[in-house]
Amino acid sequence: MMIRFPLLVLSLTIGALRCRMAKAESSPDSGKGYTLASVREALVRQEDTIIYGLIERAKFPSNSHTYDENYAEIKGCGSLVEFVVMNTEALQAQAGRYKNPEENPFFPENLPPSVVPSYPFTEILHPGAASININKSIWKMYFQELLPLLATSGDDGNYAQTAASDLSLLQAISRRIHYGKFVAEVKFRDAPQDYEPLIRAKDREGLMKLLTFTSVEEEVRKRVEKKATVFGQEVSLNSNNGDSGKRKFDPSVASQLYQKWVIPLTKEVQVEYLLRRLE
Amino acid sequence: MMVGLVVLVLMLACCNEVAKAEYTLDSARECLARQEDTIIFGLIERGRLPFNAPTYNYTFLTFLLRDSEAIQAKAGRYTNPEENPFFPENLPPSVVPHYPFSEFLHPAAALININKDIWKLYFHELLPMFVASGDDGNYAQTAAADLSLLQAISRRIHYGKFVAEAKFRESPQCYKPLIRAKDREALMKLLTSESVEKMVVKRVKKKAMVFGQEVTLDRDVKGKKYKVDPSVVSLLYQKWIIPLTKIVEVEYLLRRLH
Repeated sequence: MMIRFPLLVLSLTIGALRCRMAKAESSPDSGKGYTLASVREALVRQEDTIIYGLIERAKFPSNSHTYDENYAEIKGCGSLVEFVVMNTEALQAQAGRYKNPEENPFFPENLPPSVVPSYPFTEILHPGAASININKSIWKMYFQELLPLLATSGDDGNYAQTAASDLSLLQAISRRIHYGKFVAEVKFRDAPQDYEPLIRAKDREGLMKLLTFTSVEEEVRKRVEKKATVFGQEVSLNSNNGDSGKRKFDPSVASQLYQKWVIPLTKEVQVEYLLRRLE
Repeated sequence: MMVGLVVLVLMLACCNEVAKAEYTLDSARECLARQEDTIIFGLIERGRLPFNAPTYNYTFLTFLLRDSEAIQAKAGRYTNPEENPFFPENLPPSVVPHYPFSEFLHPAAALININKDIWKLYFHELLPMFVASGDDGNYAQTAAADLSLLQAISRRIHYGKFVAEAKFRESPQCYKPLIRAKDREALMKLLTSESVEKMVVKRVKKKAMVFGQEVTLDRDVKGKKYKVDPSVVSLLYQKWIIPLTKIVEVEYLLRRLH
């Protein structure tokens, strides 16, 4: 793998330069501005990704060997899921994933550097944002609270696929929660006079209160539950409106996930971000 | 209600339980139906990202996908006969204890891997059909989404081995003479049920409309936008997935009496 790197870097640099030169009409995403509206839209779209992820994970039983440190005995990695997540993250890091400020690794220690040419991701966040990574809490929540609600007991031997499915869902949840940095920044820019005094006073409670809109949160929870019901249904040609009443997973797990963890943790990220905003 | 839901979820986990039990035509069809959802979610998630051309630099893409498969191989993915790697050469061995996957297939099944054709159709035909042009810098995520979707499509197509075995066991007297005569055309004819295929194409289109719709708390409106064009999904099945699955079935059957 080491031998391929120089060749890889060279070919990517040439390729990327060609692409960017030829890119007369680039996607509106490159160098995009974040606004309150665009941030809300992104959060809504992320709901779908999380729900698809829940459905795909629910396809497998609990497959507890995936999480058993003693099962696979892989040196330096603990359980199979840790092995898959750590190594896949390392690979994706080399491919530039974590250069995007929207992405946060679960195992940031010893992550290899990116070998791809740097892309001009929008620099909207305060530099303090990079130190905010609450993935340890998300990991704990995912395995100790969410999975027992989501996966039925059983073992089908598909531990690698289970771990891959966990990684995908963890990344989606992590991305949504850490998006709080962007939410906080646009809110701050929108009304700095409301936030500055609280930030200077390090008033976490005051900031949390300012960030909380119970009606919006209830709307999110309801919409997530509706989406989980719609996307999680069994679709057959027999029923008229596509809903045969059978479900791939319990939709209330999705709304619980949001109400109990995703929304509160996103706000925690927002508060942490704001506390560093004036540094 | 929780018990009812748990029962339903258990029923739907049938795909995985049959790993221990025998495969039947009915169970195979149920599994294929469930795989439709996975493929459609995969299309929707890939469709969320623009084309991101730098991802498709050959060296970058193969490095990323090959090494991803290597990680999963070590974790035991390819010991399951339902899974077929895109880069089988020099795949590292599994480091997990052996799991007793059902030995339902004839041993020659392991030689059947048409992922090179699936790769070609995916990048040259399918991707341009449903992905918007543009570049947002998310090349690693793009490749990961590609791998996930490729794996789902590959799994569905190679499931033809199980479908073929179930069909053979149901009526060996119909298949044996054609296999001995190496009559590909006749085998293909015997395997083909146009009515079932039409139903599958219709159903995936309907699923794409249900799973790809924008869900809001407002009352549902007709004439909605879909996250992926439902006719792309039905075309994918009609032009490639169904025909390639049957090719796998024929290839499997031709080796069945070895």
